[in-house]
Amino acid sequence: MLNRKIQPTVNPIEHIDRIQAEKRLLSNGIPVFFINAGSQDVVKIDFIFEAGTWFQSSNLIASLCNSMLEEGSRNFSAAEIAERFDFYGAYIQLMADQNYGFANVVSLGKHLPAILEVTEDMLKHSVFPEHELKVLIDKNKQKFLLENEKVRTLCQKKFTQVMFGEGHPYAITNKLEDFDQINREMLVQFYQEFYHSGNCRIIASGRIDESVLNLLESHFGGADWNRNILPVPDYFMSPAPQKYHRVEKLNGSQSAIRVGKMWVPKSHPDYISLSILVTILGGYFGSRLMANIREEKGYTYGIGSFVLSLKYASYLIISTEVGNGYVEPTQKEIGFEMKRLQTEPVSENELETLKSYLLGEFLRDFDGPFALAASFKAINDFDLDYSFYDRYLHTLRSITSEELMKLAQQYLNTEDCYTVVAGSVD
Amino acid sequence: MIHFERTKLANGLTVIVHQDKTTPMVALDVCYNVGSRDEHPDRTGFAHLFEHLMFGGSKHIPSYDEPLQKAGGDNNAFTSNDLTNYYLTLPKNNIETGFWLESDRMLELAFSKPSLEVQRNVVIEEFKQRYLNQPYGDVWPLLRQLAYKVHPYQWPTIGREISHIEQATMPQVKDFFFAHYAPDNAVLVVTGNVEFDQVLALAERWFSPILSRNVKPRNLPKEPEQTEIREQHVIREVPNDTIYLAYHMTDRLDPRYYATDLISDVLSNGNSSRMYQNLVQKEKLFTELDAYLSGDYEPGLFIVSGKPSNGISLETARKAIERELDRMKQEKVSEYELEKVKNKMEANIEYGEMNYLTKAMNLATNEILKDAGLINSQVDFYQSVTTEQIQEVSQYLFRPENCSILNYIAKK
Repeated sequence: MLNRKIQPTVNPIEHIDRIQAEKRLLSNGIPVFFINAGSQDVVKIDFIFEAGTWFQSSNLIASLCNSMLEEGSRNFSAAEIAERFDFYGAYIQLMADQNYGFANVVSLGKHLPAILEVTEDMLKHSVFPEHELKVLIDKNKQKFLLENEKVRTLCQKKFTQVMFGEGHPYAITNKLEDFDQINREMLVQFYQEFYHSGNCRIIASGRIDESVLNLLESHFGGADWNRNILPVPDYFMSPAPQKYHRVEKLNGSQSAIRVGKMWVPKSHPDYISLSILVTILGGYFGSRLMANIREEKGYTYGIGSFVLSLKYASYLIISTEVGNGYVEPTQKEIGFEMKRLQTEPVSENELETLKSYLLGEFLRDFDGPFALAASFKAINDFDLDYSFYDRYLHTLRSITSEELMKLAQQYLNTEDCYTVVAGSVD
Repeated sequence: MIHFERTKLANGLTVIVHQDKTTPMVALDVCYNVGSRDEHPDRTGFAHLFEHLMFGGSKHIPSYDEPLQKAGGDNNAFTSNDLTNYYLTLPKNNIETGFWLESDRMLELAFSKPSLEVQRNVVIEEFKQRYLNQPYGDVWPLLRQLAYKVHPYQWPTIGREISHIEQATMPQVKDFFFAHYAPDNAVLVVTGNVEFDQVLALAERWFSPILSRNVKPRNLPKEPEQTEIREQHVIREVPNDTIYLAYHMTDRLDPRYYATDLISDVLSNGNSSRMYQNLVQKEKLFTELDAYLSGDYEPGLFIVSGKPSNGISLETARKAIERELDRMKQEKVSEYELEKVKNKMEANIEYGEMNYLTKAMNLATNEILKDAGLINSQVDFYQSVTTEQIQEVSQYLFRPENCSILNYIAKK
């Protein structure tokens, strides 16, 4: 007889197959980290440059410079670049964040030679045509105006400003007027300073064989794009003295809330244990914040906590959007859940559930070529090696409720937290 | 090419298995043939609200998520106008927990009152977060209302208005469950590191005791042919004017569907596409311009949406779009252009086959549509489209009387 009340036997996850990235240097010193995995003839090549907002002298330079890489090069016009990618069904994703500028290419393996030919010209010989720049600026202006209508954007901006101080590159301070200050020369200068072989690393994943590595060597391994590496600038944080901040946005039905504080870096001995603690608080569907604020009270569609690790700073962030009438009760419950982790040990059952869930997630993080590449990047960005994941597994299997409570007492004090609310005041 | 095996249990549940031994995981996808098109016009948003309630405990299992997490699993779900899809992934040696959970909630929900109360509220907040409190958030509801006068595609999955969700009652929830949630109205797809016989044995064990519910075939009103152009102006607090043109297109199984899809690609897929090159880059009339299909199973919409550049009127914008659409009607696209969009389609299909969960979802949704095998035959359907067909379908699509225009005007 089928007993539907009892869960079928759960087997522990013991073996986790982790394919590691191999490293090879191109002749000019560019490190290529590659992961040969997957069933399809698909290749992903990420070119990563130290060219994030950290290095820009004024707002927008890093991101516009990066976006302009596909807008024309010595041998290919913007239209020809687009044509090449589209014809072969390949993609290039251009993106700049706080520390890095990325050009991530995805292609069928059989079309990689045609795709890398044009990628080489884009990365080495971008020409920044005026017309395309104007179109791009107009496009980004409209996007900026749209984003600025959203409470979550306003909230996140203010949150980074109060945490880091407005002069710090991790504070998002873009304004509409910034678009009028940008000119071609600023972008060309940034490009010359930061997009070159000495500032580049490559992560390749998918069906990677010798022929792919040879292609990378022949297109990107030469001395022709060596330039001097500039020193990394220093910045100082100047966090706001007061902890509570509001941003007015009239006529909305919801407000965005951010609560958070500075956090330990990825290399810190407590980092891994803390990441487990933050998952309990708000990092999965069964988390404390979701269970209380969504599944019990129904104040929100979603609430979560996570740690944003950047190269030179990390912070904890709790984020949600709630009906305007639920702002205060939600803040109260966030404080309550943080306090509860400091005063009550997590139950055996909850901890076991969480450990199994995170082990499953761990398995997913090492499943498939792109996941493997992302897991590698997550350590490589911070100059960590795979022993980080050994420590992670060990910590996950051995951590106790007592340890978690101690960490909560040390790191989850509500009085240390900044709170930003963006929306209408009731 | 995705190899799969398919069988049907005595109670009507279709079971599909695809083996992918490159992953240590399995995916279970249970797709129900019910969407917002099956809702009563006065109780819209119900299929989606119901999706939330499916996580509020079932007949023998008080919590869905916790036992799944204990087995290292993860899950999610979505509702469309056409279907409701639930999917989970698990390490392969814990596959049975997936069968246990999914079969129990197909058998019967707990129908818990507190869960209904809370999820109503959660969905109302979702309504605000995604639609009411987002710039341009009401575009889709407005367009649907303009284009459909009879067919239930006239409302979005979130519902026509919040009050419909507020007023949902437990008896309605129960009726909805027994009318639509049944083995004979669902597909179970299992992909990943599995054997066919193993899946079949588990399906027999957990799903075959559920009785067939003799679900009535759907009988929806047909949308009458549109005979004149429709136009609406709304003024909203948004940063930019935007224009939307919606043309009625074929259903998903019509042979013309593939040409329709490629037309949208010729017009706007990628920076080399016609509209981007001509209207965004060369003429600078728009900062954003897209053409896409609504993705519905029954006759859907072909949509062009554009944000005009500063100083460009909606009138000028509309004329520029119509110029490009007219060109599609007047001249055949070049063989090169057609080859390009076909290549892109082929590459995208290849990318989609990299992941066991994506494959499970594609098999399930195609089986609900008609036949899971469509995911393999679609490559040939796309490849066989000719430049003549592109022109013919363009002439059928881009008729003025087939168009609904939404002028979304920024309040100054």
